[in-house]
Amino acid sequence: MVPIAEVIIFGTIEASVYGLLALGFSLVYGVGGILNLSHGLFYLLTGYIIFWTYTTIGIVWAVILALIIIIIVGGLSYLLLIKPLQENHVAILIITFSLGFFVEQFIKVFGDAIPHTVPSFVGGAITILGVPFPSQFFVILIGSFIVIAITGLFISKSKIGKSIRAISQDREAAMLMGINADRTLMYTVMISAALAGIAAVLYVPASSIAPHMGWDVLSNSFAIVIFGGLGSLKGSVVGAFILGYTRSFVNYFIDPAFSALVPIVVIILVLLIRPRGIFGKKEVY
Amino acid sequence: MSAKSLSKGKGRVKKKLSGSKSYLLNWSKTFRGRLTIICLIGLCLIPLLTQNRYYLGIFITAMIFSIFAASWDFLAGFTGQVSFGQAIFFGISGYITSYFIRYLYLPWWASLLIGSLVGVAFGLLIGIPALRLKGPYLGLATMVLGLIMFYTFLNVKFEPWLGGSEGISKIPQISRNAVETYYIHLIFMITSFLILIWIGKSKMGTVFKSIRDDDIGAEASGINLTKYKLIAFMISAFFAGIAGGLFAMHNRGVNPGVFQPLYSFYAIVMASLGGIATISGSALGSYFFWFAAELFSEWPDVSVFIFAIILILVIRFAEHGILKPVLERLKDIWDLVLGK
Repeated sequence: MVPIAEVIIFGTIEASVYGLLALGFSLVYGVGGILNLSHGLFYLLTGYIIFWTYTTIGIVWAVILALIIIIIVGGLSYLLLIKPLQENHVAILIITFSLGFFVEQFIKVFGDAIPHTVPSFVGGAITILGVPFPSQFFVILIGSFIVIAITGLFISKSKIGKSIRAISQDREAAMLMGINADRTLMYTVMISAALAGIAAVLYVPASSIAPHMGWDVLSNSFAIVIFGGLGSLKGSVVGAFILGYTRSFVNYFIDPAFSALVPIVVIILVLLIRPRGIFGKKEVY
Repeated sequence: MSAKSLSKGKGRVKKKLSGSKSYLLNWSKTFRGRLTIICLIGLCLIPLLTQNRYYLGIFITAMIFSIFAASWDFLAGFTGQVSFGQAIFFGISGYITSYFIRYLYLPWWASLLIGSLVGVAFGLLIGIPALRLKGPYLGLATMVLGLIMFYTFLNVKFEPWLGGSEGISKIPQISRNAVETYYIHLIFMITSFLILIWIGKSKMGTVFKSIRDDDIGAEASGINLTKYKLIAFMISAFFAGIAGGLFAMHNRGVNPGVFQPLYSFYAIVMASLGGIATISGSALGSYFFWFAAELFSEWPDVSVFIFAIILILVIRFAEHGILKPVLERLKDIWDLVLGK
């Protein structure tokens, strides 16, 4: 018999992590109209910085260092690469794609290509319905819910959040009101990098990282965002949960080998049936 | 031209022929034309210098990838549709070609043709849902499709049908003679380039460019966008398929690795180095890439690492590639030598 608790818990874990990733991806798209192909690298790089440094400076400082570095990397990638090319969508795609490759190869050249993991913050296990789960799972759940809630509050209440929303609704009108669009977009990319970084901080101890994983992160985020509707934050969270549970169910009831195919099936179905996604306002074509 | 004595149709044909002749003649007198001819003659003479299988192999790899890069350049440069999943067509054709040679014992050229046509069918299959997406989304969607192909072919469950991580191996080469193989690849490269350039200059090429520059305007002038986008997708898939089949035969096998984003990256970096929308630039980019990669042959990751940096710099600072500025500099030297 397949323990149903396991399916649900694993689905929720994946969903909450992918919720964080898709949220950042969708935010950058909604504000700047930018599809950031290097989104996976934020996740990957955070994981590797923690892996490279935790033995010398301890896990807590490694996490803080990794998050600071990833936010700086996000800001720099916007200032140096995306902003100068803003008019040219094709160039942005190619440059973020090659940035993703740069980080993947950087890790392969200066590290190695085998999967690694890092220790979790809390040890031990918690038993639910007779099935023991690592305590790290609950750290992931609680952590990602808190972060998603804070992000939601930040976007709706804070000054930067309000300018982010203003820019995404009407860029020109917002600029006339004295909002600095470029700076707002930079903050958005930094927030998106931080969200991906937090996802890595939470999830890497429970799984592993390898150089090629950035692309999987990207393809899942993209599937969720297409499903939920491009630029809709609510859509990304809902989409993440649906995708997470679907993957988990496919893993347990059909075959783990097929769970990698879930994103593409989702994308194709959504594109054929409802191209704007479940919560999307604009059509994507 | 005595158009009166000839029937109307014949006259048109003759005019077209003589027109293309003078075009070729004029082209061969320009600097670019001369340079191209010198490069082609140089490529023809390479086997006289060395018959070493390894050295010729570098040239063959560069030729295969120049076709691949040109197929990407055709799609991105002429129709403005960026595909990050060019490896899909490359890989599927490699698999089909290998399968037909290895298990059905078909001659290599027939297998290659079938492989490329399956690539075209894939282009059609992917094109129909993907072309509902504009620009950036198409790029991402094709990339995700490429990843999915990678995982499908890697899948243990499908191993009896798709070969698993080993793929298909031990397929015979085109020819045991390295020089003969070299010339076959050279012919494939030149023919592919001629066809792609010809399409670019034909009426259909103009339609493609109009879609790239202003799709709403093109649609308003009565161009069926979906139809022409699909045609461009299929042409591109065909040449990517030829490259994939040749690559499989050259490597004597194929594995799921050909579906990785890495191979799409190869096409993009080569085409961008040479200059997007120039077709011939892809060849230059490809040779440059593989000669440079040869310097780092002991550390293959390092060469991709360096080329990722180069691609970032090229896109950021030299959108038209590095072929054009270098060519212009060469032209100055050429003029100096001729005393113009």
